[in-house]
Amino acid sequence: MEVARLWLGGRGLGTYLALRERLFEVDPLSPENLLVVAPGPLTGTGAPASARYSMTSRSPLTGTLFDGNSGGSFGDALRRLGWDYLIVSGALDEPGYVTLGMVGADDASPAGPAAGFHSAGDLWGRDVPSTLARLRELYPRSEAAVIGPAGERGVLFASIVNNRGRSIGRGGLGAVMGAKRLKALVLGHGDRRPPVADPERLEFIVYEAEKLLKANPITSTALPEFGTAVLVNVLDRAGALPTRNHRETRFEGAAAISGEALKRDHLRRRSACRGCMIGCARRTAVGDQTGEGPEYETIWAFGAQCGVSDLAAVVRANYACNRAGLDTITMGSTIACAMELTELGLLPDGPRFGDARAIVELVAATAAGEGLGAELGLGSARLAALHGRPDLSMSVKRLEMPAYDPRGMKAQGLAYATSNRGGCHLRANMLGPEILGVPKMVDRFATLGKAGLLINLQNLNAVLDSLSVCKFTAFAMKEDYYARQLGAVWGETVEPQELLSLGERIWNAERLFNLAAGFTRDDDTLPPRLLHEPVADGPSAGQVVDLPPMLDEYYISRGWDEAGVPTAVKLERLGLLTVAAAAGVPPGRRQARGADADAP
Amino acid sequence: MSSAVLEQFRRIGRDLFVAGVVSSHGGNLSVRMGDRIAITRRGSMLARLEERDVIETGLSENDANVVLASTEINVHRAIYEATAAQAIVHAHPPYAIARSLMCDEIVPIDSEGSYLLHKVPVVHTELTAGSKQVAELLPKWLKEYDIVMLRGHGPFAIGHLLEEAYQLTSVLEMSCRIMTLADGMGEQIREYRKGSERYETW
Repeated sequence: MEVARLWLGGRGLGTYLALRERLFEVDPLSPENLLVVAPGPLTGTGAPASARYSMTSRSPLTGTLFDGNSGGSFGDALRRLGWDYLIVSGALDEPGYVTLGMVGADDASPAGPAAGFHSAGDLWGRDVPSTLARLRELYPRSEAAVIGPAGERGVLFASIVNNRGRSIGRGGLGAVMGAKRLKALVLGHGDRRPPVADPERLEFIVYEAEKLLKANPITSTALPEFGTAVLVNVLDRAGALPTRNHRETRFEGAAAISGEALKRDHLRRRSACRGCMIGCARRTAVGDQTGEGPEYETIWAFGAQCGVSDLAAVVRANYACNRAGLDTITMGSTIACAMELTELGLLPDGPRFGDARAIVELVAATAAGEGLGAELGLGSARLAALHGRPDLSMSVKRLEMPAYDPRGMKAQGLAYATSNRGGCHLRANMLGPEILGVPKMVDRFATLGKAGLLINLQNLNAVLDSLSVCKFTAFAMKEDYYARQLGAVWGETVEPQELLSLGERIWNAERLFNLAAGFTRDDDTLPPRLLHEPVADGPSAGQVVDLPPMLDEYYISRGWDEAGVPTAVKLERLGLLTVAAAAGVPPGRRQARGADADAP
Repeated sequence: MSSAVLEQFRRIGRDLFVAGVVSSHGGNLSVRMGDRIAITRRGSMLARLEERDVIETGLSENDANVVLASTEINVHRAIYEATAAQAIVHAHPPYAIARSLMCDEIVPIDSEGSYLLHKVPVVHTELTAGSKQVAELLPKWLKEYDIVMLRGHGPFAIGHLLEEAYQLTSVLEMSCRIMTLADGMGEQIREYRKGSERYETW
């Protein structure tokens, strides 16, 4: 229970185990790397949008600590089996899959009770939908998390996909599974109910929380009606829609790839994670194909970022990623990088901006490791470096940034630069305060004064990923709702500030992992284009990101020294001194304003 | 201090006065800026804040500017020390103060107040203005509630931004006005909120 109190579950628990097992020392694709699978204490309890779980490992794409968080039903299934987490270690000699919690399984299995090892047989080589379908035939009522051909082949941004088409999308954790020759984790149907100490109180708080979700136009109208793709036009009008590998911030084809267009031309029905009342997911069709998505980031990655305004091609590219098990953001942005290299004459016979056919073909080539696809499978940072222009990778810590141009949302730049897993909007998305006015609207072009707001959001998201609940609920709910839900589950009072402190603790622990892995302040940066190339026109005309002063303010606010290392005062307050020492990270010392001016 | 921060102080200060929740020289505001704090000057008029009226000093360490800062600075510092607040609004709203003299918690009966507040604890100390007692007591409550009423004095509200803390202050005062109006009508209130009897446990 002490571990649960300090790390909650999900992402926090994964961070704890990754540090304890010193994953910062291992090759991400070696058998020594671990894959921690963990739901959170709210998963499956009936808390809004809580059917989630995390997978944590060291990323082969970034080298950082990396947790992916996904919806669907897999997290619920783990809890119904009564499991708080499982650790995948080592590697199989031959491709296989593991079943857990199956009736009649081998209780003497080295993986624990009711676990079974199976040869992958003809599952190896199958795409994601086919694998999931076959496993459902073999194990009715099961829930599975699988990799596709991309993960088998070691594509550095391969994903892990579960039965509802939800992915552990980013960072290449699918390649970690592939390196272990593990095709799938299959969970049997359990009948345990997650423990809730005070169900009556939880019911009351959930009722109050759902009132807010129903009253908020983002969670009650925009996301259900248009999905996340509602943001295409919003970001384009703000001059913050990265276009053609971030060369521009408005896309002339935005309307053609918008959420409105997706609804009109491709939507078949809404879908949702288990028990979610928001229902942001889409079941779509194009030609004779049907499938899941695309969501906003995917539409942007294959659309504006590649200069493609053919929504049907974007939907097909998305389906191809879903089949292969590929992260759509990295895939699209890597193709965009290749397009710019081509236009500069550095990639002979490569794709060009606006080539709708190319985006679909290159996804297939990447999954198969054929032709240019073999290079694309390394991600944009390695691709751009291979061709002598590392500056053309729109990534942070080798993770491609998503669909918000920091020149039009300055604190989003700081969010990318300081994200513990690289260019990512899920550590903290300043979309709320800088574009949507949640909790309140701030000046999106202002450089200073937003570090504290960002830090609170980063800490809160660390909590949400650890509980595990969907971040979209935070469009309507404040931290006290999560604290009260957890309090009901634990049967005690949990103060919102205590919860945020736990988030801060998780964030700093992740930082310690990355410092131990060799990351420094120099890695907390953005692509040179965003720092030095002013936006040519539109609402963000003339803007660049002035990062150094933002970073200084952020480090001070975090209680870190000038190099971005947590000070002894901060580590002690968070109870992380021994964790830092075990990881071999000496406490930072802040030089400014006196010798002992450690920030509070 | 950036012009954007000063403008926040000006807008919120003016609104507090116009809304009638501070007297001419009452109330105080602050924001946290890393290891620094910007707080209104002692005796400043919130409706007429100039650059000289917003004082920047250390969050945990004093410097010469502290002689100019609000008398409540130690309360603000203690709140920042104990919470993740980035902004604090302290006002003297008359209806809320009046109600605080009669109860240990304020449970709004109107829809907006119910959604946003559910319940506001009322706490008390012998010395109410800028005292060590207040600095010790309030942060404990603000770990759990975003707005807490100091009996006979006024609420302290926290938020990520001044506007958030101002909103809580404004909603509390509006809720208390409505409760006062409803009380005066002398009629039985017809409940319209499912589960409202549980708001006292919020």
